Amino acid sequence: MTEKLLDKKTLTKSYHKWMMYNLVAMSFEFLEAMGFALSMEPIADKLYSEEPEKKKEMMERHTAFYNTEPQVGALINGISAGLEEQKALGNSGITGELINSLKIGLMGPLAGIGDSMVPGMLIPILLSIGMGLSSNGSILGVLFYIVAYNCIMYFGSRYLFFKGYELGAESVDVFTGEKAQQITKAITVLGMTVIGGVAASYVKLEIPAKFALTGTEIDVQAILDGIFPKLAPLLVIFFSWYLMAKKNVSPVKLIMLYFIVAFAGVGLAYLF
Amino acid sequence: MNGTLLFQAVAVSIFCYLGALSTPWLLGLTGGWYTITRPLVSGMIVGLILGDLKQGILIGVAIQTVYIAMVTPGGQMPADLNFVAFPAIALAMLSNASTEVAVTLATTIGVLGTIVFNLYQVVNSFWNHRAVAAIQEGDYRKFRLNAIAGPQATNFISRFLPSFLVVYFGSGFAKTMLDSMPQYLIDVMSYLGGVLPAIGIAMLLTAVVKENSLFLFFLLGFVCIVFLNLNMIALTIVAGVIAYLYYTGSSKKGVVTPNGVVDEEDEEEF
Repeated sequence: MTEKLLDKKTLTKSYHKWMMYNLVAMSFEFLEAMGFALSMEPIADKLYSEEPEKKKEMMERHTAFYNTEPQVGALINGISAGLEEQKALGNSGITGELINSLKIGLMGPLAGIGDSMVPGMLIPILLSIGMGLSSNGSILGVLFYIVAYNCIMYFGSRYLFFKGYELGAESVDVFTGEKAQQITKAITVLGMTVIGGVAASYVKLEIPAKFALTGTEIDVQAILDGIFPKLAPLLVIFFSWYLMAKKNVSPVKLIMLYFIVAFAGVGLAYLF
Repeated sequence: MNGTLLFQAVAVSIFCYLGALSTPWLLGLTGGWYTITRPLVSGMIVGLILGDLKQGILIGVAIQTVYIAMVTPGGQMPADLNFVAFPAIALAMLSNASTEVAVTLATTIGVLGTIVFNLYQVVNSFWNHRAVAAIQEGDYRKFRLNAIAGPQATNFISRFLPSFLVVYFGSGFAKTMLDSMPQYLIDVMSYLGGVLPAIGIAMLLTAVVKENSLFLFFLLGFVCIVFLNLNMIALTIVAGVIAYLYYTGSSKKGVVTPNGVVDEEDEEEF
């Protein structure tokens, strides 16, 4: 790219608008479309300051239904900005349809990557560390989470946005390619290990059943503790996972099920 | 009128609005929904407002476990975390509930809150159509009015009002209710509070686990805490080393066994 119409200031403005407004007017019908249009407005202003009809055409294009994981999805905004610039420069290969279909084509994969990387992995890992540091009521873990998450996301998304702009249409391969998948997997391994630790720390279930057999009292929990402490919580997690992943039981139904079991279980314990 | 409570309810409800999924003012999703609406963080904020920072953080940590892995694909929410994070935690603190009881209370309010969120999205369809029409007219000021101001006014009302009502009128009610509740129900809620985090963790596993071998790493983390008594930071370091080895291992092609990583990636590509 030799010629450029967009400067860094306009691009930064577009990035900030996206990060602020991505979900601003979300509805089932349009989801993030208004946020996308708002983020494209500075770009449209710059590219078509003299041509209101073309600006209108571009803005209308970006009000189409749109939905992705917004923070990783900043990449798509960058790509769109780069393509809109090429289009305004008169690159005949780039049409409105191409830009729209690229947006639609990318939003699914990036939502998949984004949802599993950000709320699926990064946030649980940072929260786990924060919860560990704050488990005694200390403020340290909370501050750690706030600073770490916001720094990673602000600069990370910003990097993706500008990288997307630089690479334009070429960037698709870089971020969904083989190496990216290996990194994703390695992070999944990291996340799974940490989540195992979180599960052990926070799920609590003790079985208070005690039986009197031939004069000696048998304490079920004490026996379990001797073999595998926390075995009951582990089984509850696997059982919940099995019902949700394999039997499509909704979390709300599961909560109700556990409520009934707890109700009956405590009742049973009261009887003895 | 209770002046202190009035102030506390207003402050909690303003944060409830700021942390909503759709509020832009704290760098959108990043500083709002994903930062102050995490119960870990909101526990601190509510604790500060109510004058007991430590108790706020302790309750925040306990409730955070339930929602550690809430992924909201396509805006579909199993629970409205925003109402959990602010009015529910405030209510739990004001009624001196134990952490386990607080968890159960918060989960219930969270499930009820999804109704409000769905209503908000329905109302936004109205604003969206007006915004699109404004662009067709070439009126960009009107566009911004209908894309930002209108939905945010709706958002503010739908967050501030329920939160305020729950905290201001609910705290007295919840305290009396908890005080007069039979020990039986308290016990049920305590057990439930201990088990509910399992659902949050299972939800994460459902979203992340694409192949069962990943459960080995989950088990490893579990065992590290139960038997080796590592703390979370030590565990993260161990996990990081393992992830690095996994990455370098999977990068070298040809060394991997037929059931290994290379094979699976090929399947994904074709």
